[in-house]
Amino acid sequence: MTDGGTPLGGSHARPDALAKVTGQTRYVGDIALPGMLHAAVAAADVSSARVGSVDTSRALEIPGVEAVMTAQDVPGANLIGVIFPDQPLLVEDRVRMVGDRFAVVAARSPEAAWRSATAVSAQLEPLAGVHDPVEALKAGADAVHDSGNLVHTFRVERGDIKKAEARATVVVEAEYRIGGQEHAYLEPQACLAIPEAGRVTVLASCQCPFYIQQGVARVLGLPLSAVRVEQAPTGGAFGGKEDYPSEPAACAALLAWRTRRPVRLLYPREHDLQATTKRHAMRVHHRWGADRAGRLRFAEVDVLLDAGAYAGLSTVVAERANASAIGPYDVAAVRVRTRVAYTNNLFGGAFRGFGAPQVTWAHEATMDRLARELGLHPVELRRRNVLGERRRVTSTGQRLPAPVMAKACLEKAVAASSAGQPARALPPGRWLHGTGTALVLYGCNLHHGGQHLDRSSAVVILQADGSAVVRVGLTEMGQGNLVAAQTVAATALGIDPVKVEVWQPDTTTVADSGPTVASRGAHASGLAILEAVRRLRRRLDPVAAELLGCEPSQVMLGGDAARVFGEPEQTIAMEQVVQEMVRRRIETIATGWYRSRRRRFDPATGLGSPYEFYAMACHVARVAVDPDLGLVRVEHVAAAHDVGKVLHRDALEGQIQGGIVQAMGWALTEELKLSRGRLLNPGFTDYLIPTSDDAPAISIALLEDAPGSGPFGSKGIGEPSFIPTAAAIRNAVCDAIGAEVDRLPLTPPVIVEAVAARHPFSFLLP
Amino acid sequence: MARDRNRTDKPGKGVTRRGFLGTVGAGAVAAVTGLPRPGEAVPEITEPKGMVETALSINGRMHRLLVEPRWTLLFVLREQMGITGTKIGCARGECGACTVLMDGSPRYACMTLALEAQGHEITTVEGLMDGEELGDVQQAFVEEDAFQCGYCTAGQVVAAQGLLAANPSPTVDEIRAGMAGNLCRCGAYVHIFRAVERAAKGRGKGGGR
Ligand code: FES
Ligand code: FES
Repeated sequence: MTDGGTPLGGSHARPDALAKVTGQTRYVGDIALPGMLHAAVAAADVSSARVGSVDTSRALEIPGVEAVMTAQDVPGANLIGVIFPDQPLLVEDRVRMVGDRFAVVAARSPEAAWRSATAVSAQLEPLAGVHDPVEALKAGADAVHDSGNLVHTFRVERGDIKKAEARATVVVEAEYRIGGQEHAYLEPQACLAIPEAGRVTVLASCQCPFYIQQGVARVLGLPLSAVRVEQAPTGGAFGGKEDYPSEPAACAALLAWRTRRPVRLLYPREHDLQATTKRHAMRVHHRWGADRAGRLRFAEVDVLLDAGAYAGLSTVVAERANASAIGPYDVAAVRVRTRVAYTNNLFGGAFRGFGAPQVTWAHEATMDRLARELGLHPVELRRRNVLGERRRVTSTGQRLPAPVMAKACLEKAVAASSAGQPARALPPGRWLHGTGTALVLYGCNLHHGGQHLDRSSAVVILQADGSAVVRVGLTEMGQGNLVAAQTVAATALGIDPVKVEVWQPDTTTVADSGPTVASRGAHASGLAILEAVRRLRRRLDPVAAELLGCEPSQVMLGGDAARVFGEPEQTIAMEQVVQEMVRRRIETIATGWYRSRRRRFDPATGLGSPYEFYAMACHVARVAVDPDLGLVRVEHVAAAHDVGKVLHRDALEGQIQGGIVQAMGWALTEELKLSRGRLLNPGFTDYLIPTSDDAPAISIALLEDAPGSGPFGSKGIGEPSFIPTAAAIRNAVCDAIGAEVDRLPLTPPVIVEAVAARHPFSFLLP
Repeated sequence: MARDRNRTDKPGKGVTRRGFLGTVGAGAVAAVTGLPRPGEAVPEITEPKGMVETALSINGRMHRLLVEPRWTLLFVLREQMGITGTKIGCARGECGACTVLMDGSPRYACMTLALEAQGHEITTVEGLMDGEELGDVQQAFVEEDAFQCGYCTAGQVVAAQGLLAANPSPTVDEIRAGMAGNLCRCGAYVHIFRAVERAAKGRGKGGGR
């Protein structure tokens, strides 16, 4: 116990620890029911075609098959997709993407189901399709949807670029090509649908049971109240289980509805990699200018997102990219344009950082470029332009409250980097060393455009033995929402955290709380819990006061007891207070609700307050590069984060370490090799995610000087932990090899090419 | 490289040993891919015939059962015996979620046929408990918060157990290399290293088993 005897900021064992280290956590794949069938999907392996007919006759002949369903068997609307109704659940007349489903199958074994799925055949008339977002926006390009390939354009327009440009002595221009990323959560997509006459229960590995509830209800043509979705323990998500799980869940529910039996759908890894959403690939064009004193004068940014074949959450991702394009710098004249284009590539979705990592990578690359042009150290250029006490207005014109922690994060991370030790000795060879810095200004919680979803529900039930049941609408997927909710509830109720049991969300126990995204889990569930506890105390405090012989306003909770303010000796056990409430038949359950504050924002100009508040962070990476082989080893990452207030230290540091490792994979090795929209490397042998041997040494500095509006002043960490790392690594590699690299990932061929291009005789190379 | 340490060989690119979790929907676009066209023979199904009797020693108990020769140890553990602590992350020797001990050495259960396990002592995460108590490696994982989503954790704990059996006081470099066959997408590596170090220290003091 720390912080005045409360668990706040401590490191007590997570409530889910015991089950996880003993293998007792029941993920969906660990649950089987009597009579349960196994589902499989028949998926397209071309990315664009007109569909003549789908033939399921041979699929039905496979022994063990109970049902094969196509688009015409859907009882409700054959539509999936969170925002735009552009995606059929099952193919009708067009294939737009590899992984589009012709049919779904239920069989008595997974083997029979997947075999049956391969026996589904479709008459297809192949189309050329479009696989490059730049081509997609050209006149005459194949239209992926009848509405055209431009999905949406976002802008930020602030200040007078012409005037500002006249004062800039150095202008740099660059075109960045930034690749996507696969979530690679270790537990593939998984769900189980259990039908009863007229209604259905779905158990799913997911980040938002409410999205699934809506998707399943729409597809089955049921009222929302007839669809109950419970979040199963979730083996990693990172955004990949925000929007996507509605698709497998709707498939399983469809088959369960038809067969009247429980149906479980587990994606084999290869299908998971081939068919699910990815981080968006982006093209980012920059024109930035600074004066001789190293002050930024103007910044022009043009971003193009490859949405893939369906809009999914692409517009929302683009909205965050658009608002994050300039970073934590003071620039008076700003033009940002962010466009979203359909192609026949795999579709983009939510992924940790949500559009911000790509634009951050670009603005940090440009800052280093500018520094080199100006002959300034990259850290010095940042010092001269970063938001701080005297410069508190963001690129969208939002004035930040003091203190602004960006500069402090920069200094802390730079200091921690020079003090930090590498993880291990380098193997023999020629190694060049480099250091790179990257800053991020992270808009906490949902953007103004998604404000309507920024709410959450909690239920707290005091038990007669002084323990408490807590239910929240936000999910645990490894990031620590359970321990955060437990810590907040225990602190507010003044009881030991082990007496607080947090159960996973279920659409029948809490109200629609939106998705667990945007680093808002602990924030939104914590504030809803605090509200529920406040309501409970309106009933609890008078009872406690009576037992203690004081006024209700004097009642304090702590140490598993109620006590009198100012008289620490006078206490009564929480258990006794609750028993007295029970005896008097006083309600011991309360609900809590949270919603974010309203704010002003103009979508047409991109000006105003897109986010309620911000978290800042700086990462400094030190790398060693073998220029002959193009190998990069990240030796050390120093991370300084403006966290507001630490709720649980281990979980917080775990998020930072995990974010850094995952971003390192994106930066260096995780290349999505697409050929005409098809992934050529759908396995961990060719799609390389970091192993323990790749993990860098990490130093962490937590800054608690600028409170956020989360519980006890906390701010989210899930995304800011990821966003700056890849940029810092890029800058470190460029520092090491003495050349600019404008592509991500920095695979060995990319690095060798950059090194070779720097060679005076490079024009002689083939 | 280290990923292969103490492991069975990986299959070549694209080879999948487990038919039932193998290729997906490849035949769906018959007209385009040249896979069987309507009217052609459907790939043959192996009927559950040819079952053979076997005896497997799992977590100290002998189990007699009928298996098909092609069944993996992972399939038998999870689907036939209901021992589900061992997870499935890829089913082709790429992730380590399915790690079990075979005579004390870590092994990918998805890459081991059940029949290969005959005559060997198999230990899964369930077998690391000391009665009702956590095993020392499990305890160290709790104390160091060496997990996030937990899906890799059973495999990590088992791999750490195997590592410490082979090398009771590993250096950090040896831990990094020794654990490299177990992916953790949550990136809990730093805490995992600390947990393995803590367990090793505990044993050095005579605290472990
Ligand atoms: S499931 Fe066996 S290595 Fe991945
Ligand atoms: S804890 Fe999630 S994969 Fe390791």
